[in-house]
Amino acid sequence: MITPQNSAAASGSSSGAVGTVFDIGYQNYEGPREGRWRARYAVYKDGLKVSLGLGRGSRAKILPWLFIGSLVLIGAGLALAAITIDRLAGDGAAETIGLPSHSDYYGTASIIMFIFAAISAPELLCPDRRDGVINLYLVRPLTGSDYIIARWLSFITIMLVVAWLPQVILMTGLTLGASEPADYLKENWADIPKFLGAGAAIAAYSGTIAMLVAGFTTRRAYASVFMVGLFTVSTPFTFGLAQELGGTAGKWLSMFNLSNIPMHVNDAIFGSVSGVTQDAPAAEFDTWILVSWFFLWTLGPAAVLWLRYRKLAP
Amino acid sequence: MSAGLRFVVVEALLSIENLTKEYKGVVALNNVSFEVSDGITGILGENGAGKSTAIKIVLGLLEPTSGSAKILGETASENINVRSRLGYMPEHDCLPSNVTAAEFLTHMAELSGLPPSHARSRAADTLRHAGLFEERYRSMGGYSTGMKQRVKLAQALVHDPAMILLDEPTAGLDPAGREEMLDLVRKTHREFGISILFSSHLMADVERTCDRIVVLRGGRLVQSGEVKSFTEETEAVYIEVDTNRQGFIDALQRRRVEVTVDGGGIYVEGSDESVYDHVRDALVEAEAPLRRMGPRRRALTELFERDGEDFSGLPEGVDQ
Repeated sequence: MITPQNSAAASGSSSGAVGTVFDIGYQNYEGPREGRWRARYAVYKDGLKVSLGLGRGSRAKILPWLFIGSLVLIGAGLALAAITIDRLAGDGAAETIGLPSHSDYYGTASIIMFIFAAISAPELLCPDRRDGVINLYLVRPLTGSDYIIARWLSFITIMLVVAWLPQVILMTGLTLGASEPADYLKENWADIPKFLGAGAAIAAYSGTIAMLVAGFTTRRAYASVFMVGLFTVSTPFTFGLAQELGGTAGKWLSMFNLSNIPMHVNDAIFGSVSGVTQDAPAAEFDTWILVSWFFLWTLGPAAVLWLRYRKLAP
Repeated sequence: MSAGLRFVVVEALLSIENLTKEYKGVVALNNVSFEVSDGITGILGENGAGKSTAIKIVLGLLEPTSGSAKILGETASENINVRSRLGYMPEHDCLPSNVTAAEFLTHMAELSGLPPSHARSRAADTLRHAGLFEERYRSMGGYSTGMKQRVKLAQALVHDPAMILLDEPTAGLDPAGREEMLDLVRKTHREFGISILFSSHLMADVERTCDRIVVLRGGRLVQSGEVKSFTEETEAVYIEVDTNRQGFIDALQRRRVEVTVDGGGIYVEGSDESVYDHVRDALVEAEAPLRRMGPRRRALTELFERDGEDFSGLPEGVDQ
């Protein structure tokens, strides 16, 4: 709609045509109103943009894209190394020398994913409360539950992309690099649902805990430092103490190594123990205990986050 | 319609009935009832009078302890979709600093249910009407307080609501910015046809902007009615004399005329002809040379100031 400040006549081209532009003033909106689902989708879409720094200044883009780039590089690097070794030493040589593959990738990349979650999740929740923007969300056809669920979904979407993209690159690289790509895919297709499942577990776990931490402060830096500290401290603390205690008590203490919780699920899905969990006493527990523990640590924080935002009012 | 008869049902846009809200023993609103129809209505009251609590209940953000608040015929806490036809401008900061006004308003329009293409178009139009079209691609962190207030008003308008609720829209503005904001509020109703509920503790703002006022004090409704009716009822004659001012006042008081002294001027209550006769006689008796005399409609502000901001001192009677 063109609504200049004043009515104006503009002379046209050399042909002498004259166009007139009228100020039609304020127009009431007669178009569609799509209600609550549109509002929820708007929060979800905005969450995706905020997580990736899209529509923001260049500073907002640096960290998310740095982490995504690093993870993609790991996936691409592993694929390239495996292809090169196989080409030089023959098919299967990379596997023989124990070069990390799909089952090991998350063990290598999980720390980067945790840090990514710690840095990106606060961007989604802290500024909205610090700047008071949440007050504008909650007076629209949107509840606190709608808001937090849409934000959580948007962040988990980003975390899934972050988790899966390097694995897809690795799979693509290994397939294209094999002397018989079709045979390689036929023999290894089962890795695809496995890495999708394991990636979903680590994305849901780290994303939810990071969102929960961010939900309790308006300062992004505090949330990020707390989250990184939580994961950094829990590993040596629980590992050392678990070794000291030994027995069942040691195994249970080892369960509180926050970095390992989704990795036990990764191990269960791939049916092998990865490098990061092989020394953890908790790995001796039955799979159902490890998986239940994972769900407790994912659904529990999700419930607390939801309860916190459910009754939020400006 | 053969007889050409048309029945127009005028329904209140906002209807508050016996509304009470208690917070752990503190009564924020006490059995308040009033209605708001088309136009600009001001909710006037000091801090803690219950203005914001009333607005939050109207928007469905708080549950009342008892009573009801219906807006556009709906209770917002039961049907939050009604909020897609409402706009709200909060008193406090609510703008992200690293986003442009155009992008922010587009997002706000989508949050109110508009599809993205319509939202973009409405955002541009609304920013034009708020006087921010040229600045729409600048991050809002660099905006002045006045510009931020305009964006706050624009986000309340972007989805073309039937009614907007403004919480202290002139807070933090300098006199020029305040005047511009009040102009924009008036224009919003006059040109856009949007009804407005305007909360303020500044009586001058309410008087200059609103058609009707609702006065709250300590959670109770003190008065409600047309602004015009408040000022009409307080019509007075304003007089200035060159000398013997005290003698003139004494002469008026001997004639049982109610006199109020305000700075260099004298107010004589009443607008009937007899008041002018008394003034004439008092001037002659006191031999006081008249400098200026004329009827004057007292501003709401003066009413409140005269009573030491005691809202119960307002004249009785309009719709209470």
